[in-house]
Amino acid sequence: MTAKRLRIFALLAISMVFLLAWAFPIIWSVLNSLKTDSDVLAYPPKLVFAPTLEAYRDVLFGSGSILPNLLSSVIISVGTTILTMLMAVPAAYALARLRFRGKKFAGFYVLATQMLPPVGIIIPYFLMLRNIGWIDTYQGIILIYLSFSLPFAIWLLVSYFEDIPFEMEEAAYLDGASRLKTLWRIIIPQVRGGIAVTVVFVFLNAWNEFLFAVVLSGNTVRPVTVAMFNFVSVEQTLWAKLAAVSVLAMLPVVVLGVVAQKHIVKGLTVGAVKGGGRR
Amino acid sequence: MSGQGQVSFRNIVKMHGEFAALKGVNFDIRPGEFFALLGPSGSGKSTTLRILAGLDAPTAGRVLIDDKDVTSTDARDRDIAMVFQSYALYPHMTVAENIAFPLEMAKLPKAEIAPAVKDAARKVKIDHLLDRKPGQLSGGQQQRCALARAIVRKARLFLLDEPLSNLDAKLRLETRAELKKLQRSLGVTAVYVTHDQEEAMTLADRMAVFMSGEIQQVGTPAEVFARPNSIDIGGFIGNPPMNLIPARYVDGDVIVAGHRLKTTAATAGERDVVVGLRPGALRMTEGGVGARVDLIEDLGDTAVLDLDCAGTMIRMRVSDGNIPGEGDTISITARPQDIHLFDPATRMRL
Repeated sequence: MTAKRLRIFALLAISMVFLLAWAFPIIWSVLNSLKTDSDVLAYPPKLVFAPTLEAYRDVLFGSGSILPNLLSSVIISVGTTILTMLMAVPAAYALARLRFRGKKFAGFYVLATQMLPPVGIIIPYFLMLRNIGWIDTYQGIILIYLSFSLPFAIWLLVSYFEDIPFEMEEAAYLDGASRLKTLWRIIIPQVRGGIAVTVVFVFLNAWNEFLFAVVLSGNTVRPVTVAMFNFVSVEQTLWAKLAAVSVLAMLPVVVLGVVAQKHIVKGLTVGAVKGGGRR
Repeated sequence: MSGQGQVSFRNIVKMHGEFAALKGVNFDIRPGEFFALLGPSGSGKSTTLRILAGLDAPTAGRVLIDDKDVTSTDARDRDIAMVFQSYALYPHMTVAENIAFPLEMAKLPKAEIAPAVKDAARKVKIDHLLDRKPGQLSGGQQQRCALARAIVRKARLFLLDEPLSNLDAKLRLETRAELKKLQRSLGVTAVYVTHDQEEAMTLADRMAVFMSGEIQQVGTPAEVFARPNSIDIGGFIGNPPMNLIPARYVDGDVIVAGHRLKTTAATAGERDVVVGLRPGALRMTEGGVGARVDLIEDLGDTAVLDLDCAGTMIRMRVSDGNIPGEGDTISITARPQDIHLFDPATRMRL
């Protein structure tokens, strides 16, 4: 009994260490976003201080407001997610179901694009976009985001489609449904868990993306991940404001995570139970 | 909407690469008939059903339904309903929605769908479960739901792919009887795939027996049982199956285990044959072939004896009341008309 308790205690302690390591930057951001600039720089760090929303007011409504940048991020992320899903769902279905020439190669290609180091392709992407005048445009950034979100989404969705027995579809055909109707009425409702998971991942990837954004964006289209660095300059770093923007940028991620949690957990366990009838 | 439900297969061949799943299959199903496709697994019976349903295309040959060539017609345009072995219920829909789906696809007005769904559900006794999801049903209830979805549309053909194989033994027997009644009352043509010869024997009006991609015999269960066309069918049908004993044919007699037996089956001169003897056709009489009882399987009203006939294993079915003891030596014989002869080379009936 004591040995078991000791083990539980040890596991708990290890978990706490990991949790702390993971949570520290978030706690740091939240705390500093509520401090004044002088409190931030105080040494030793003040654990007890008078919280203020001054930093938030400044970054939202001050002269260097990041509201347009948040809007940019929303447009880019939502646009990328919608376009990705519109193309990934039929593509994944095709890869999971249809027999066509080059299917194996297509499947490998989808995965291979995930293995490329992004740094390796960022310059060519920049040059291509510049040549067609799409630098610092929504269509430019969304197009580039699609190039990695689409393969990822397809790859993720294929396994969900593959989990659905062929007979389900054949039954629908015999019931008089067309292929499209079958996809819409029979197949997609059964993979909605997978679709939810994919939507969350694609949205988050687009929302959190920094590397491509910093190179391909400009003054017109500037997502919040890039805009954050407005508060870092050679002369000084406005830590409180930087922290406030970080928290603001994290907010949608957290909200989405909480809202979609049920779906994500469900989505990840689908297929674990044979038949999966109780969805 | 409902046609006659007459089916003809003309020289259907199905190749899977080099492997011939069907090697030229021909048969006709009459309207209103309960027709079984019987055979061991891998014999081509399921492939045949899938080709009839339009889920697979034959490599060669033609499929006719009601004298119309449907070989290249889409599954959904064939007016065929099917019950799958796995039932293939739509897990995200309620029972009612599942049953309604074919009617919705047929663009039936909503006002007509609801009563039709109720009616179909009542016929298979699941009208109290209409609001459940398939996952909340027992195996038997799921099976009934699949049946209801198939009968609701009143299609001209009703295909069943081993529909009872996922049920436990007791439920299987009950459902088997109900299935037959249901088919009779609906008057539809039913095509039933099974590897269970007992199921085919009890359900079918006629059946086609498949062996390695070919139909070896088409007939009523009684015909197939009484006169199996080949060694393989004899060894497949009947429980226990036919005894198949290598023997010698000499001028109207067969020599089995050193004894001459009269047979009505005729072939020419003197040759090697395989003798087929139904376990139930053997009789205990004086002056027959001597046999030692090795084992008795008592089934209650009958018993199956494993007999050792001078080194040849023979199974015999006896009715209760005159069961010998294990180790006893008995004397058996068979009437001339109960002795079947097969060619050991072609494996076909002589």
